[in-house]
Amino acid sequence: MSSAERPDDLEAELRALAGSLDVPAPPPEQVAAAVRARLEAPQPEAVRPQRRRRVRWKVVAVVVAVVVAVTAATPQGRQAVLTILRSAGVELRLGSDTPTPVATPTVLPGEHVVPPEELATLQRFRVKTLTALHPPQSATVSDSGRVVSMFWPGGLRFDQVDGGVSPYFFKRLGPPYPQDVTVNGVTGWWVPGEHPLGYLERPDGTEVPLRQAGPTLIWEAGTIGYRLEGAASMERAVELAGSLR
Amino acid sequence: MNDDEAIARSLEGDLSAYEALVARYSALAHRTAAMLGAGDEAEDVVQEAFVKAFRHLPSFHRDSPFRPWLLRIVANETHNLTRARGRRSELSVRLGATAVATAPDDPEGAAVATDRRARLLEAVRGLPERERQAVVCRYFLQLSEAETAQVLGWPIGSVKSRTHRGLARLREEVRDELG
Repeated sequence: MSSAERPDDLEAELRALAGSLDVPAPPPEQVAAAVRARLEAPQPEAVRPQRRRRVRWKVVAVVVAVVVAVTAATPQGRQAVLTILRSAGVELRLGSDTPTPVATPTVLPGEHVVPPEELATLQRFRVKTLTALHPPQSATVSDSGRVVSMFWPGGLRFDQVDGGVSPYFFKRLGPPYPQDVTVNGVTGWWVPGEHPLGYLERPDGTEVPLRQAGPTLIWEAGTIGYRLEGAASMERAVELAGSLR
Repeated sequence: MNDDEAIARSLEGDLSAYEALVARYSALAHRTAAMLGAGDEAEDVVQEAFVKAFRHLPSFHRDSPFRPWLLRIVANETHNLTRARGRRSELSVRLGATAVATAPDDPEGAAVATDRRARLLEAVRGLPERERQAVVCRYFLQLSEAETAQVLGWPIGSVKSRTHRGLARLREEVRDELG
């Protein structure tokens, strides 16, 4: 039902073409064994968490500083930094200078208030909450349900973003640069200090500056991106993230 | 052992059950990665995606299908890779050597058909990225509109409109040869 002139020919032809396309792939058993071997390999962080983590983030900090210094000039290098720090739903953009603050706060597209108890009934993805806290004081849903935000008194805000292939939020950052931290078993990023937060509108990637954001912890699980803004410290943010259910 | 049983056992730490799941989806995952642009790095992308999928399995919604959930992780990994390389994602597949089955006793007709397939593939390759992704998911991977929306992380309306625009462009491209 796609065209007036030739209803299904092309679609059928494309499906037939699919059958004659060669995609080389190793034997499935071999892939399964390789994946298993990787899953069985010991994870060093679990053995000596304290020491290991410190060393690791020092290394990351150095890498980030070097890369930023080198890449201020080259677009390819800048691209590499973006990629390193890209996480489901959030893109960090590093620059060598402190970025210009967002002057006029804006809300997310289609943002509307929803009673917190109704969040569980949303269909798009499974909305979780931070069980270490009381139920949120208020909540909003934005952009056809892709972003769910919860608010607590004292400026604490928790966003859940159905990440997908493209990032959703972007953050412009200058020094101090974000540091990596293990959040619920995955690598997350703690962004200290105030920074401009914006939003990428799909499908064309238009940038919408939103507001100045406070210190934020970001991490991902599956294809859902999480950002927790306004915790007093990185440790507190990680602790709250641990109560995500 | 169906997907749900394999997932339940994997969640209990049974790696043999997860191996079975990986073997089951390996070919489709490679196909997806290659067609969304992973090129000769599809194997690495797929392995990484399966490792991530295992680690994120606790967040998988058990009453929804596994296939699009997994393919979305594959698509994400592919996207990360193409971004990391700073290149446009490309449709990295070749036409197979298999003859066109419709005309075994008509070599000339078969040659025309092969030529047409090659031209159609080139036309798909030349589509704007998002239209190409939509067409690839819908027709080459034969995913439903809803699955395509989940895998690419788009609203279903965008899947419909980009598929439609892609098909229209393809019709335009290959119209001459259709006569």
